[in-house]
Amino acid sequence: MCCGCCSFPAILSLYAVCTNTSDKPATCLSIFRLLPSLAKFYVTSMIFNEKRVLVQDFDSWINSNGKMEKAEAIRALKALHLIKENNSIAVLNPVFRTSFRLVLTGSESENSFGVVCEASDTHKVDVDFLDKYAANKWETILHFMVGTELEEIPNQAVLTLLRHSGLMIGKTPNAMKITNEGFQFLLQDVNAQLWALLLQYLRMAETLQMDPVDVLNFIFMLGSLELGKDYSLSTLNETQVNMVSDLRDYGLIYQRKSTSRRFYPTRLATTLTSDASTLRTASAAMNKAIERAKDRSASNVSFENAGTIIIETNFKLYAYTNSPLQIAILNLFVHLKQRFANLVTGQITRESIRNALLNGITAEQIITYLETHAHPQMIKSAEEQLGKRLETGEQTNTSLEILQPTIKDQIKLWQLELDRIVAFEGSLFTDFSSLEEYEMLRKYSEEIGCLLWSDNNKKKMFVTEEGKLQVISYAKRHFTKRP
Amino acid sequence: MVRVITGSLVECDPSIRALILQIDSTEHDIVIQELDDTHLLIDKSKVEYVKTMLNKLLAANTYNPLDDEENNDH
Repeated sequence: MCCGCCSFPAILSLYAVCTNTSDKPATCLSIFRLLPSLAKFYVTSMIFNEKRVLVQDFDSWINSNGKMEKAEAIRALKALHLIKENNSIAVLNPVFRTSFRLVLTGSESENSFGVVCEASDTHKVDVDFLDKYAANKWETILHFMVGTELEEIPNQAVLTLLRHSGLMIGKTPNAMKITNEGFQFLLQDVNAQLWALLLQYLRMAETLQMDPVDVLNFIFMLGSLELGKDYSLSTLNETQVNMVSDLRDYGLIYQRKSTSRRFYPTRLATTLTSDASTLRTASAAMNKAIERAKDRSASNVSFENAGTIIIETNFKLYAYTNSPLQIAILNLFVHLKQRFANLVTGQITRESIRNALLNGITAEQIITYLETHAHPQMIKSAEEQLGKRLETGEQTNTSLEILQPTIKDQIKLWQLELDRIVAFEGSLFTDFSSLEEYEMLRKYSEEIGCLLWSDNNKKKMFVTEEGKLQVISYAKRHFTKRP
Repeated sequence: MVRVITGSLVECDPSIRALILQIDSTEHDIVIQELDDTHLLIDKSKVEYVKTMLNKLLAANTYNPLDDEENNDH
């Protein structure tokens, strides 16, 4: 599943645009953590290497299968201005190099990894509390988006952000409605969602006269903080202090009171810059935390895995969940029928999928959602079937099919059905008196790019609404000249 | 003399074309001209109507498990 991988390049390229020096060690570390693994290897090989590195050396460090990865790694490094090529000598950005050395050797003077409060907090909170707090804040936002009745709606700043990012429209909180992008947003991984909102925040920051570099440095710093520790506000600049109150609303940061001089990063913040492999476990941990919090209040069932959905070949769906959010999301494309303490059942129908498609959700997204949230039992039986196929020596189909092919195909077919007719507005030109006249107009409309359809035998052609007047005036000019 | 007819060009596969003609056979005034196997010229204001009618016809050809259950309930 494409979790963070789609938004990381986005944040990195943004970073490359607004600064080409990475002087803050925490930022260096975060950038490093987000790099592709081969790029990481290159950076680490160069960081303490005083000798010159030739561009060809990059090739000698990989085997012949790695050409693609190498190209990708070099592209990433160059885009971030981390590596420059000078007469076939590769040079690591000196600022980055110095800062990154500081990260590794730890001899920096100003502490860019945040300053842990020395005095102990009289209202100390533990990791469990932070997890619950973050889950609650984040879920409130998601719930608001799906339109669940809430006792407390998200802060005004959050609403503005949702509106600016195009996830929701409407002026007053009560009138706000989710958009197509919003629906797609809901189906993403928590981490991808966070990045999407933070990117939007960054864009808004520029219009709010906040320095994007400060904002980015702070976001990257949050990613390197330690969960469960309290940090002091004293080393932050004004922009960053303002950010603390904003990020509090998203659940990235916990602050007991707005006047408090200390803050706690939550799990949402500390997993921001972990790379793809840890990312998934981090978000799974997040889900688990949410599940645990729910379980304590509702039933005693505990889940080993975030997967909860079983779907049968007759399109019946069972989801072992009591999370109102997941139920609301399922409700986007499933006809839900029954609800029990820890289970909802429903049916996927042509109508329910069509509604989702009309809301801008794609078949691919639905399939990915069902696959990533599949119950462990579904995965187990898929693995068994794959094992059987491999035993019988079938070569054609060696991928793991978590969803039955019928389900997948049908959902895709329903999407195809939706666009089975395409309609264009325009005009049909017919009853030409001669083939020359027809040819002349056909050629002209083809040249100006407004010809949609033509039939030489019947001497008919169809042009777009925009091109119609042009073609008509062309015809008038040329046809009336002739006797 | 050249004649210009304003309308919507509908592109579809032959099976859908047949369905549109079927809709037209009961209501007329939808299809202005049949152009070829995959193209029809239809009244601009009727496009949405044709789409909903097509949806109804296609839905009738799909097995809907919910209908069954409702019948059983009665």
